[in-house]
Amino acid sequence: MSGPILELRQATKKYAGVAAIEEVDFALNQAEIHALVGENGAGKSTLTKVMAGVVTLTSGQMFIAGREVAPRTPLEARHLGIAMVFQENSLVPTMTVAQNLFLGQEKFYNRQRGIYIAAQQFLQSLNFDVVPTALVGMLGAAKKQMVEIARAVLHNAKIIIFDEPTATLTPEEKKYFFDLVFELKRRGVSVIFISHALEEALQISDRITVLRDGRHVVTDDTRNFDRARIVQAMVGRDLSQTLYGSRKQTARRSGRRVLSVQNLRMGPMVKNTSLSIFAGQITGVFGLVGAGRTETFKVVAGVLKRDMFHGGEVLLHGRRARYRVPAPAIRDGIAYVTEDRKVEGFFETMSIARNIYLGWLARLGRRRMLVSRRETETIGEAWIKTLGVRAIGKDVKVVELSGGNQQKVVIAKSLVQEPDLIIFDEPTRGVDVGAIAEIHQLINRLAEEGKAVVVISSYLPEIMALSDRVLVARQGKIVEEFSALEATEEKIMYAAIH
Amino acid sequence: MRPVPAAPRRAANWLRPSQQNIVFALFAVLFVIFSIFLRGFLTADNMLTLLQNVAVLGILGLGMAMVVIGRGIDISLVASLAVPPGLVLQMVQNGHSLPFALAAAFALSLAFGLVNGWLIAYAEVPSLFATLATGLFLAGLGQVALFKLDVVQWSPGMNALTVIGQGNIAGIPVSVIMFGLAAAVVTLFLRVTRLGTYLYAIGDNPNAARITGIPTRPVIVLQYVLAALIGAFAGLVMAASVNSMPTRIYNSTLIYDVILVVVLGGIGLSGGRGGVVNVIIGTLLIGTMLNAMTIMDVSYSGQNLIKGLVLLVAILTDSFLNPRNEETAQQGDI
Repeated sequence: MSGPILELRQATKKYAGVAAIEEVDFALNQAEIHALVGENGAGKSTLTKVMAGVVTLTSGQMFIAGREVAPRTPLEARHLGIAMVFQENSLVPTMTVAQNLFLGQEKFYNRQRGIYIAAQQFLQSLNFDVVPTALVGMLGAAKKQMVEIARAVLHNAKIIIFDEPTATLTPEEKKYFFDLVFELKRRGVSVIFISHALEEALQISDRITVLRDGRHVVTDDTRNFDRARIVQAMVGRDLSQTLYGSRKQTARRSGRRVLSVQNLRMGPMVKNTSLSIFAGQITGVFGLVGAGRTETFKVVAGVLKRDMFHGGEVLLHGRRARYRVPAPAIRDGIAYVTEDRKVEGFFETMSIARNIYLGWLARLGRRRMLVSRRETETIGEAWIKTLGVRAIGKDVKVVELSGGNQQKVVIAKSLVQEPDLIIFDEPTRGVDVGAIAEIHQLINRLAEEGKAVVVISSYLPEIMALSDRVLVARQGKIVEEFSALEATEEKIMYAAIH
Repeated sequence: MRPVPAAPRRAANWLRPSQQNIVFALFAVLFVIFSIFLRGFLTADNMLTLLQNVAVLGILGLGMAMVVIGRGIDISLVASLAVPPGLVLQMVQNGHSLPFALAAAFALSLAFGLVNGWLIAYAEVPSLFATLATGLFLAGLGQVALFKLDVVQWSPGMNALTVIGQGNIAGIPVSVIMFGLAAAVVTLFLRVTRLGTYLYAIGDNPNAARITGIPTRPVIVLQYVLAALIGAFAGLVMAASVNSMPTRIYNSTLIYDVILVVVLGGIGLSGGRGGVVNVIIGTLLIGTMLNAMTIMDVSYSGQNLIKGLVLLVAILTDSFLNPRNEETAQQGDI
């Protein structure tokens, strides 16, 4: 075999100055199945998006069969023979399989019968059991994936990238999917696949690359890996070098039981989960994407919109509490600080003070008919000072602030409501380095004051630095609990992956 | 370690090129041009006509403004204007007492607003389609079941209400004073009350409003109820000033004028922005334009053409100045 079919050298991609991947070297051989593993935020998706032309490199080079290329759009990447199958399906659900296959390549006179016959022949040649006249919306996850793969092959893809391909599949479907991947390999196609499921990576890949914090850690033949070595590579960072400070030496004792969730089931994401949260300590909740952490706590806070509640109980201070909207949950002292502040965190046209005042107003509810400008300013100023929100002028709108200061405003808006149970969902996502430490101090202070604090995070160092108690979620359930003293990154990661 | 971004240096408020200021300047320029070049424009009589003609439009604009601030739209506003006040006229004509007729119309408006609100807040039908359908229904109901003739005439029993549409107080037409009154009430509601603040919050970011603990659905219902009531008030003022209720007004282009007033005045269709001042500015500009076009004897179709153009420009400017989702694109989706 000659040199690698695809190669990245010193690839760096920065978003707003923050590196998602940094100086990563990566090489893919012809007809190879290459697994890409790493924690959430390790840079797997960014790396593959660079290859697929979804994002462009900030610096570094990319080569295909030795020729330097720089695809700027997915279409350009497709012409280079690279196709990506996304987590979210990119098929049109109201069209038939055949129409989807030929989407964008229709002739001027688009005869349906013609494309059905062509699609039929093509799918048979791949040994795919899909009916070309079926509507894509009616297909199961695995068949949809087949159509995506067929489309990639039809476009003469030499390299196919899968982002979490097995996350939505049932065990039989998974087996079928692996057969497909082997079939592709036989046809000389190279496959990159991102997976959280280490067993799968070990089972089907030829080589494995581990990324961590946007950097390349190790690439080796799969037979030289076992589970322990991968986990070690995924988490084995030098803690003194992270932004999150060292791990805890002491753990706060549990206070009163504030929240107890029993056998909660909700939609496809929460499967029979049970947990307890205590006052006066920080409970860290760790899990990979799709583990149902956010959903569980959104049920608790009444935030989850569609009511797909299937059963189970939520007890707040020993009393049954099942909220359908957030307002009563807030009145009972539950605050949920969202992971996505732009979408559901703050009011962008309003000043900092007004954002915080709205939290106060919502808590008072009917007790307050009129609003007062003076009160807005007083409350706003007090919280700006308490949380150290840095802004030029108090009339500055929240959109104009940095990520960290926006996050502080969102936190203030919840704290002004005087909650006893505060749920922080990814509290330092997209937050500048200086503000991370301040937000962590604040979270610790809340626990010292006797509040029950939950920190949901998919970043292990954050969990390690904050938690007195760690809960690990996997596939819609809390599967493991550690005290801060017994927890190690390896143990937590081991519990979180399947 | 990103530094806190420096806030852009702000020019004095009245100098900033906000839509509100652009439109006000445009109004001033047009007003001066018409005054100089258009004979019969700048006369006391014409000014009074101008104000009187736009008073009803302005009141409707207030109702629409509240809905638009809450990130909705109410196409059924003209049905609210025509049917409940028409019912008042019809019932009085049929021999019922005025208070009873008013109470019945109030109940009808209230019920209509509640239905609109329920459809939009609870059944989650997009406001455009919900109010399009309910408006058609209400207008049809009026014509089929409530009114005997297309134009419901004013009857002597209504005379107690004449004062809200006819005559002058200190030289100002009463209908204009009614607009002023409605504007004052809406201003107070939007600026001073808790619910008014909620309305802005919901228009700005409905998800954040919900998570903050604002009862979003009841507030959305409230905004459509208020719009229906304001529409009915505008209808009463109109009926009192022309001494009848031409219920076919539902088929006119009035609703476009209302949207024109609101959007032109600078109340962003993306919600959460603007206030009563914007409605007043929008009303003044539209009033001046319509009046001048009438004096210049522009045909009805010609007027529509011009209004259509102006509305297009206004909506374009709006989406340029207040882009929806300007910051919702996720940064660094790793």
